[in-house]
Amino acid sequence: MTSLPLAHAGHWLVNLLYLVPLVLIVAMLAVSSMRDRRAAAAEAAGSAAAPDRADESSA
Amino acid sequence: MSHRRLLAALAIGAGILVAVPQSAIAHGLVGREDLPIPKWLFGWGSSVVLIASFVGLAVLWPKPRLENAGERRTLSVPRILDPICAAIGVAIFALLVYAGFAGSQTATSNITPTFTFAVFWVGVAAASMVFGDIFKAFNPWRAVARVVAAIASAGGRRKLPAPMPYPVALGRWPAAAGILAFVWIELVYSGRTDPSNLAVLMLAYAAVQFVGMSLYGIESWNRYGDAFGVYFGLYARISPLRWERGALYRRPPLSGLTKLDPVPGTVALLCVMIGTTSFDGFSGGAAWGEIAPRMTDSLRELGFAQATALEIAFTIGLIAVVALIAGLFRLGITGMRSGSGAAEPVDALAARFAHTLVPVALAYVVAHYFSLLAYQGQAMAYLVSDPLGEGANIFGTATSTIDYSWVSATAIWYVQVAALVIGHVAGLILAHDRALVSFKDGQTATRSQYWMLAVMIAFTTLGLWLLSAANA
Repeated sequence: MTSLPLAHAGHWLVNLLYLVPLVLIVAMLAVSSMRDRRAAAAEAAGSAAAPDRADESSA
Repeated sequence: MSHRRLLAALAIGAGILVAVPQSAIAHGLVGREDLPIPKWLFGWGSSVVLIASFVGLAVLWPKPRLENAGERRTLSVPRILDPICAAIGVAIFALLVYAGFAGSQTATSNITPTFTFAVFWVGVAAASMVFGDIFKAFNPWRAVARVVAAIASAGGRRKLPAPMPYPVALGRWPAAAGILAFVWIELVYSGRTDPSNLAVLMLAYAAVQFVGMSLYGIESWNRYGDAFGVYFGLYARISPLRWERGALYRRPPLSGLTKLDPVPGTVALLCVMIGTTSFDGFSGGAAWGEIAPRMTDSLRELGFAQATALEIAFTIGLIAVVALIAGLFRLGITGMRSGSGAAEPVDALAARFAHTLVPVALAYVVAHYFSLLAYQGQAMAYLVSDPLGEGANIFGTATSTIDYSWVSATAIWYVQVAALVIGHVAGLILAHDRALVSFKDGQTATRSQYWMLAVMIAFTTLGLWLLSAANA
């Protein structure tokens, strides 16, 4: 009879503890990458708007 | 998040992780090896060391130190040593083949299996890290080929045809295939403990080497095609010593790896080296103990015999773990590419950073096979006196036994953890040093290595998990 995975939950939880540092570091890197992308997008949007304003003032 | 803020966050995170194990020690959890903390906390502690090393490198290592590091001639080595070492290598090879065929077919009584799997596979790898490429001097196939080439050149009326240029596309693929085949024999092949089978395989390997050397030249084939020549040669690049043409050179440790030419197959070879060792650990654990019987049963239902089904299941597992290691490394390189803004394709970047995997591979070998060398290596004391297992006592040591008490299980675990941590820190150092010469400034170089840090933490925790599962 196949036993339920829950029956071995303690065993698997201990194994999962090994993953904690990796999960933490990957989460930090993912957040960092996301913020970098947002900052780059905001910067690109800002620089695209700047020439428009310059055109308006010269007109 | 800015570069400085992320570095600070990493340092703070490392500090928190350091604090957590201290509280855990207070719980007095004791493992089978009488450890002061549970094994998974060693994984956390190792991650802390890696993160702290990473921060330290970012702050204290602003310029490349290993790339283009010089070397100094330390001493001259008498030329006579070259043929002496070669003769010893050929003699040992001949003895192992002879013992395999003529000796006892009980694995523990015959010198061939113990020498091959403990002394040669593990001992020479560790010795190469310390003393440099010693295997090249003792390589029996190279020695025989050189003698044959010298005789043919001196005595022949016609000059020998020049060897073909070694195909660039072939790179280190033959070595990768050779190491995979060797480990398959060690871990999967059901007849691996039969000394006569090993002797046949040794002769077959020698034949392949002679064909390779005759086609592409002795040195070219040894540099790229001879699986063991390449395998031990990679570890020898970690060493502060380099032997060449009657001289011994001294260099900073690890700097030899920066000169590794990233020909095709190099990344594959290193993934095979790490993946196969990982599978050796994994196959001894509870998880594989649950998976393997199910796979074997399914294969038997397809009509395979039990032994064949087991071999197929283990082969699938072996290849899957190698693929997992390759996937992890590729993920890290992909992250590095996006973090640095490099325009280089992922494959080229992977080849450029392939050398960072060499200390990781050695760390896995030391961690997984230290106990084999420490215990089974002692069997050489009685096997040299009675290599055939037929009752001889050549050196008077045939009655010696293996002392399982000279190193405790706790000590073995600490050696394993230390090996994994040191190997992965060395990998980080190499990656950081290479990033400094590869990317436009120090900040970009550090940023590019965030994902490499994640890969090193993944490999370290994987290694510790495998060891703990195998020892459980």
